[in-house]
Amino acid sequence: MSLLDVKNVKKIYTTRFGGSQVQALADVTFSVEPREYVAIMGESGSGKTTLLNILASLDKPTSGRVLLKGRDLSTIKDREMAAFRRQNLGFVFQDFNLLDTFSLEDNIYLPLVLAGKKYEEMKQCLNPIAQQLGITDLLKKFPYEVSGGQKQRAAVARALITKPQLILADEPTGALDSRASDDLMNLFNTINQNGQTILMVTHSVKAASSANRVMFIKDGQVFHQIYRGNQTNEEMYQKISAALAVLSTGGEQ
Amino acid sequence: MFYPKLALTNLKKNGKTYIPYLLTCVLTVMMFYVMYAISKNTGLDQMQGGTTLKIILGWAVIVTGIFSVVFLFYTNSFLVKQRKKEFGLYQVLGMDKGNLTKMMAWESILTILVSIVLGLAAGILLGKLMFLILLKMMHFAVPLKFAVESDAMIGTIILFLIIFVITFIFNLFQVQTANPVELLHGGSQGEKEPKTKWLLALIGAATLGIGYYIAQTTDSPLAAIGKFFIAVILVIIGTYCLFTAGSIAFLKILKKNKKFYYQSRHFTSVSGMIYRMKQNAVGLANICIMSTIVLVLVSVSVSLYTGIEDALSTRFPTDLNIMIYDTSQENLDKADQIIKEETEKAGVGLENRVYYRAGAFTVIYDQKNSRVLLEENAAASYSTEDFLWMEIIPLSDYNRLEGTNETLDENEIFVQMPDSGVHSDTFRIENETYKVKKSISLKSEAKNGVSSAVEGMIVVMPDVQKIAELKQQYGYEGADKVTYSDSFNMSGKEEAKNTAVKAIEQRFTEEVAESYIEYKDAYRSEFFIIYGGFLFLGVFVGSLFLMATVLIIYYKQISEGYDDRSRYQIMQKVGMSKKEVRHSIKSQVLMVFFMPLIAAIIHVAFAFKTVTKLLAVMNLVNVHLFFLCTVGTVLIFAVFYAIVFTVTSKQYYKIVQ
Repeated sequence: MSLLDVKNVKKIYTTRFGGSQVQALADVTFSVEPREYVAIMGESGSGKTTLLNILASLDKPTSGRVLLKGRDLSTIKDREMAAFRRQNLGFVFQDFNLLDTFSLEDNIYLPLVLAGKKYEEMKQCLNPIAQQLGITDLLKKFPYEVSGGQKQRAAVARALITKPQLILADEPTGALDSRASDDLMNLFNTINQNGQTILMVTHSVKAASSANRVMFIKDGQVFHQIYRGNQTNEEMYQKISAALAVLSTGGEQ
Repeated sequence: MFYPKLALTNLKKNGKTYIPYLLTCVLTVMMFYVMYAISKNTGLDQMQGGTTLKIILGWAVIVTGIFSVVFLFYTNSFLVKQRKKEFGLYQVLGMDKGNLTKMMAWESILTILVSIVLGLAAGILLGKLMFLILLKMMHFAVPLKFAVESDAMIGTIILFLIIFVITFIFNLFQVQTANPVELLHGGSQGEKEPKTKWLLALIGAATLGIGYYIAQTTDSPLAAIGKFFIAVILVIIGTYCLFTAGSIAFLKILKKNKKFYYQSRHFTSVSGMIYRMKQNAVGLANICIMSTIVLVLVSVSVSLYTGIEDALSTRFPTDLNIMIYDTSQENLDKADQIIKEETEKAGVGLENRVYYRAGAFTVIYDQKNSRVLLEENAAASYSTEDFLWMEIIPLSDYNRLEGTNETLDENEIFVQMPDSGVHSDTFRIENETYKVKKSISLKSEAKNGVSSAVEGMIVVMPDVQKIAELKQQYGYEGADKVTYSDSFNMSGKEEAKNTAVKAIEQRFTEEVAESYIEYKDAYRSEFFIIYGGFLFLGVFVGSLFLMATVLIIYYKQISEGYDDRSRYQIMQKVGMSKKEVRHSIKSQVLMVFFMPLIAAIIHVAFAFKTVTKLLAVMNLVNVHLFFLCTVGTVLIFAVFYAIVFTVTSKQYYKIVQ
């Protein structure tokens, strides 16, 4: 069974007074298997962010269904939604979204604290993750005291600590320099090899080339997919670039 | 016409922060003008006690003036902070500093015009009403004219022009010295977590504790005046230290307790509060102190005013009180004769009449040695706290007053100790030792001259001659004689009483040497003028401070709302439900909002005892009345506060969500 099933999802935004309608997602269908690492690419305005918001249950589709482990997201009640999100989804954002009033440690604890976990339990969860991400020495620092790459690693730790079914990453390398981006992608690979399912939206060909599968979205539809198979990162890079070139030159195949 | 238009649009666009600011400017101008105009009113000179009133009003003008400067400057700095980003954007878009200056100058000109014109107009309209209220409070029946005082108008315009020019220069300086990128980022630079300043927190706790202790242990009203001042200073220092350092220390302790800290209810609140306190501690301490001042000022002035009759009867236990400094028998007989003749002529009866000779001294009572030091000797050696009032009465007058037939040998005395005194068998006055034959407690009210502010003791001596000697030797210059005091109530019609009083006063000045008459009703109107003026001042300054408090709170909420918005958005993304967010916001806002009020109420509670002593100096000894007034004032203030809270927190939610 797939971990995530997206079936005929459609999203239409209506302006406030019902004037004009904008179609963000036309008809999106795909599924993500457990332990998969999927990158979604597309130009600005292609509907990537809308899709991610729907997957994150921050937004509702106009029609179609999203199933996580067979459970339809639209059947979850509003008041259970926050808890559901906390338990099943981990988020990594472009601008890190760390709270500047918390130390990195407390930022990582935040979802667990909201879930009502005990301090000892939380500490036991944190230690291996911090070690894996190489931020053990930074835990007491505050976000404004560390670099962008370190912030993003803390954000990844925050996403991982609840042991979520699926990690949703929105342009995770968008605010990082190339070194930090490479580190983060290596990290994502390691996490993925340890069994974590990841869905990442990105603009960066380099970042996307580290994924198992790359999905291209255009005009609110899944336009094309590339599977890694046995290809190296470099080969993936070539393929993705070629696909993007087709995509931007019109792509009327 | 470009800059004025741009300035106008700017003001409109920032309406959420600018309209309250303009309103404040208008109100401050109005209040200052009204106060100034009333204090300049020539009609007030005609009334009895008008000079005292003018002094009170003069103070009020100064207080209002200083307040206007500080307050407008403070609110203005809030506005500039809010608009830094906007100014940065203008610079990025290509305005140079000269253009920016022009734009800001136009904004200031518009603000000045609106504030001064509307403020003065409102002042002229409301001034008359306020003046009538003042006259009503003073029970002053004669209608006085309230004209437009051009002096006051010019004074107001000058003062506020100066204030606005200073704030304008300040704003310019703020914008000129910053570069556009900094301005664009405005307040959103990452802030460090504040360090715990243990020393400051301890100093705060200590000063507050000592201040409270002094306020609680001051027994003597005279000492209370000096000590209250010290206590106030200590409590103010303590409040600032505790709000800034103490609160953070407390929150850090909470944070150290992991079991407590890592709970969803406390987690965000505690860490959020640490930053909130860092930014707002001083503002909150300001609010706390202002609220305390409002509460004390209003409750004191209200209770003084409602307690006028009480104060009158404390100060003047009887309708008429006569003091005669020439105690020759001839003179006293003459006085007695006049009183009897004139009351009879007017057809009023004499009641509760008490007359006696006595030597009155201020003394220091040395309890350990059972000894008193008199007058100047006393003043030289001790602090005001131990001062007592002592009357020495000759035995013959004592026997007549009490209807007894006691005898005393030479060197024997009777003593009525003050409440705090201890009986002993011997008693020394300066260096002479007397044998205390017995302790007494005077039934009749032989203490007309005794002020309620100091405790008194009474000594009975066998011979009036000895008293005169003591008085001669130790008395202050001009008060070195035995005095005769005669006080009584009158029964009958008001008119008849007035006639009797007039006649007695007339004949005393003509026929009785060295006499002095106090008539209760003559003081009533003066009391009303002074205490009415004081009440007016209290309510006026109180409402001014209340307005300030309200506005500061409003601005705080708004500016914090913008800061908090991004924080709460992140929390929602990470998995906090809307309900949890709302709960967290509510608990923090509530805490920040009501902390100053609660601290102010605690301050007032601790000040209560000392304030009752101060009121005793002003002849108000009705503690119950003062208690009711204080509770009433606190309740009304709390209601106002709660209303402001609901209004501003609505704005806050709107911004955050």
